[in-house]
Amino acid sequence: MTDWLLWLEQSALPTWVRESGSVWGYPTVLTLHTLGLGVLVGASAVVDLRVLGFARQFPIASLPSLTPAIVSGLVVNTLTGLLLFAADASTKAAQPVFYLKLGCIALALVATVRLLRLVRQSPDDRALALAGARRWAGASLGLWAAAITAGRLMAYL
Amino acid sequence: MMELALWLRATPVSEAIRALPWLWPLAESGHFVGLALVIGVAGLFDLRLMGVLRHVPVAAVKALMPWAIVGFGLNLATGTIFLVGAPDQYVTNIAWWAKVGCLCLAGLNAFIFETRLGERALAVPAGGDTPGAVKVVGAVSLLSWLGVLYWGRMLAFIGNAF
Repeated sequence: MTDWLLWLEQSALPTWVRESGSVWGYPTVLTLHTLGLGVLVGASAVVDLRVLGFARQFPIASLPSLTPAIVSGLVVNTLTGLLLFAADASTKAAQPVFYLKLGCIALALVATVRLLRLVRQSPDDRALALAGARRWAGASLGLWAAAITAGRLMAYL
Repeated sequence: MMELALWLRATPVSEAIRALPWLWPLAESGHFVGLALVIGVAGLFDLRLMGVLRHVPVAAVKALMPWAIVGFGLNLATGTIFLVGAPDQYVTNIAWWAKVGCLCLAGLNAFIFETRLGERALAVPAGGDTPGAVKVVGAVSLLSWLGVLYWGRMLAFIGNAF
């Protein structure tokens, strides 16, 4: 396990990200990871808040239009997240809070995907409520916030 | 400016912030949650002003905006904790001033929107395109918030990194 992590960490691209000192290395990858977080969690939060009953003027039928934003944010953060992990693989793999973060992300994605499916099947707020969509919206909102907190705590624990 | 920062750093409030080891990480986590609300909600409104997502009436997207204000309020509060806790490391950092500049631009732009263009923009129905001036205000808003995010992230890498 450790051998593999050290090999990863010492391979060319992760080494450059970590050690180049270039603004295009670590700072840019981290900035893109933050931007991806904003788009992914922000767009999910819009769906969650609307399903929870806020901004009722916003048509439910338009919520699936946010899916491309959620997917783009997820793609950007998976790629930048893999790079950030590779650059410090042996340290991050030893942090329990890193696995907590991954667990929160996995569960948040389950809730968000499930919620988007219910949204596509429901013509109005009443149908959404009957399908139990609010529980998934609340779970999605809470789990994304927990993922952000666990990610932030990786710098401390 | 440095004298003011050092005076602030010596105040009991500033000392109290630094004396609570869990407060800084907690405030940072809140700052990132607030960031997501601002980017997600205000960003969506900006895009609609720019003419994206036309099948939604402008007023319907505006109805979400209180949540961008919640996010901004959270970030103003947590940002104040950082500034009061370690004022010297911010006022001497060029990236922080660039971030404040972007915040002022976003604020001024929002003021122009609310006072001059808001009513015209909110009348745009589903399927309707927005006037050119509204598109410009939407683009300036989006770029200035992205600038706030960029310079905030660069605080640790440009100037006196901490």
